[in-house]
Amino acid sequence: MNNKVAIRRLASGVPGLDEILGGGLPEYSFNLIVGPPGSGKTTMAHQIMFALATRERPALFITVLGEPPLKMLRYQQQFSFFDVDKINDSIRFVNLSDDVSMGNFDQVLARITQEVEAFSPALVFVDSFRSVMLEAQNQPGSALSLQQFIQQLGIQLSGCQATTFLIGEYSSGSDPHPVLTVADGLLSLEQSVQRNSMVRRMQVLKMRGQATVPGMHTFRISNNGINIFSAAQVRDDTGDASELPASPRSNVRLSMGVPGLDEMLGGGLPSGYSMLVAGPSGSGKTILATAFLVEGVRLGEPGIIVAFEQTPSQSWIRTIDDMVRAGCIGLINTRSLDLSTDEIVQHLVQLIHEMKATRVVIDSLSGFELALAPNFREDFRESLFRMVAVLAGLGVTVLLTSELEDRYTDLRFSPYGSAFLTDAIIVQRYIEIGSRLKRVMAVVKVRGSTHSDEIRQFEIIDGEVIIGDPVLEYEGLLGGQPKQTTASDTVD
Amino acid sequence: MNLEMIRKTLVHGSGDFPDSSAIAEATLSTWHQVAVRLGPVIGSRGVEALFNRSLHITSKSYPWLAVDESGENFAFQFPDLRARIALREPVDAEEASHTLLVNFTELLATLIGESLTMRLLEPVWVAPAPESEQEKAS
Repeated sequence: MNNKVAIRRLASGVPGLDEILGGGLPEYSFNLIVGPPGSGKTTMAHQIMFALATRERPALFITVLGEPPLKMLRYQQQFSFFDVDKINDSIRFVNLSDDVSMGNFDQVLARITQEVEAFSPALVFVDSFRSVMLEAQNQPGSALSLQQFIQQLGIQLSGCQATTFLIGEYSSGSDPHPVLTVADGLLSLEQSVQRNSMVRRMQVLKMRGQATVPGMHTFRISNNGINIFSAAQVRDDTGDASELPASPRSNVRLSMGVPGLDEMLGGGLPSGYSMLVAGPSGSGKTILATAFLVEGVRLGEPGIIVAFEQTPSQSWIRTIDDMVRAGCIGLINTRSLDLSTDEIVQHLVQLIHEMKATRVVIDSLSGFELALAPNFREDFRESLFRMVAVLAGLGVTVLLTSELEDRYTDLRFSPYGSAFLTDAIIVQRYIEIGSRLKRVMAVVKVRGSTHSDEIRQFEIIDGEVIIGDPVLEYEGLLGGQPKQTTASDTVD
Repeated sequence: MNLEMIRKTLVHGSGDFPDSSAIAEATLSTWHQVAVRLGPVIGSRGVEALFNRSLHITSKSYPWLAVDESGENFAFQFPDLRARIALREPVDAEEASHTLLVNFTELLATLIGESLTMRLLEPVWVAPAPESEQEKAS
């Protein structure tokens, strides 16, 4: 029974789209791209068209009312995928606004069929079908409904061996219009604005015969066109056994680059672990993280820093900048306020593969949360969980810093309830001794390993963390007001 | 942008030492070609809008080109244009026809870029090599 039809899948040319579609666009499928104005429908259609059109596989782009074609050509040219040489060679534009304004939709259908027959395209785009129908409603004589129009178009084009895309404005309400069931594939684009950030998302509502990736996928439109950040990647990386390194949790321990800290951790940070460094502002989290990366570079282990801090300290700039410039450390520095976690993760994973990085620093979670679009902040814990899972799946060792308000009434390690996500925790605090603010640090947890339980004083001298002696003669350090114990005992 | 082929096309269409009506004829036939090439891409309304704008710009130098503000249909403007060109001295007629096409091409280029403009209008212009002699006869 090998005579079943084999559906070829075309690579869409939109980064991330093929994964979501479950392997690409099925050949000869009849697809709708819908979404409100400005959501990127025409851009997506053009990107697909310019990627797929060749002399052997010509494309026909039919414009119907909607935006004036002059404007479309003017603005679409700004994208890098717009290849002028393909026009009139493998891509043909046909404008049918005259036929539509005449009000005869049978004739519009006939014109489309006629053009398709004349040019024998392998790809047909109609932009946009909604404008056809709006016009139809204004023409009392027209007997054709939206459903009939699309249905007829679908039938006529299905016999032409063409992969077809209908582009239309369609407000994504709760119940989809029955006409949408006619299509083999249905891509819905949307954009939402919350406070100062705008987030674009898309979903595949339907793609016949393919296992699509459900859910909303964020995308961005840049000079290169649309780039979709598939949420699938997170699952793939963790779920696919072949992606996992042979032994992510080996017995190898990484040196932290701070004298004395490795001993506190029971011999260094186990490879593949994630560590949370929590502490109040200025306590030295970033400096600790920098030392971790610098030590990696010294040992030939490339690292990546994802920096969300708005004003990195001077020593940070010097050390990191030099190493980034030398290519030893990868830097993802972002100040935008409309990121999605998937976007960061995709970027990070890509860089990890490129640099073969084994150490990753995320500085800091507070900045990360701020950089996310408000829509995603609600899911911040889940996002963190997924990110840590992906990074663990890649076998890299991760150091996350987290700003912690100094509270002396309770012992907390992270404002996100995310402490359980990480394998190791170091907490830093300020204490008052002899009318001076001193820094202390303790290892709270190293999963599956013995570690020091001492609270050690430390200082930061010339951008380096110098760990001092255990604070033996005081108690109540975590309450912020230590009392001398041994010393006063001996006096008494 | 190399606009030399616009003049070549006009000269090619009207023949050597043409009179004004031959120039008008060549101009009209070029405009028809432009409409045929651009119409499907930007719509006949788009061509019309660009034509009217170039006519407006060109009529600053050649006031006799200007149309009455009657809002006449595009299709009727072509015969009218031919009539007006045919009434001028050959030198004047040729310069105005040339300028009008140049202005139109430049206007299109400001909107959709030089390379796309050249790409779309390429079939209209006479090829650099004198190979299409039989077209001249028609």
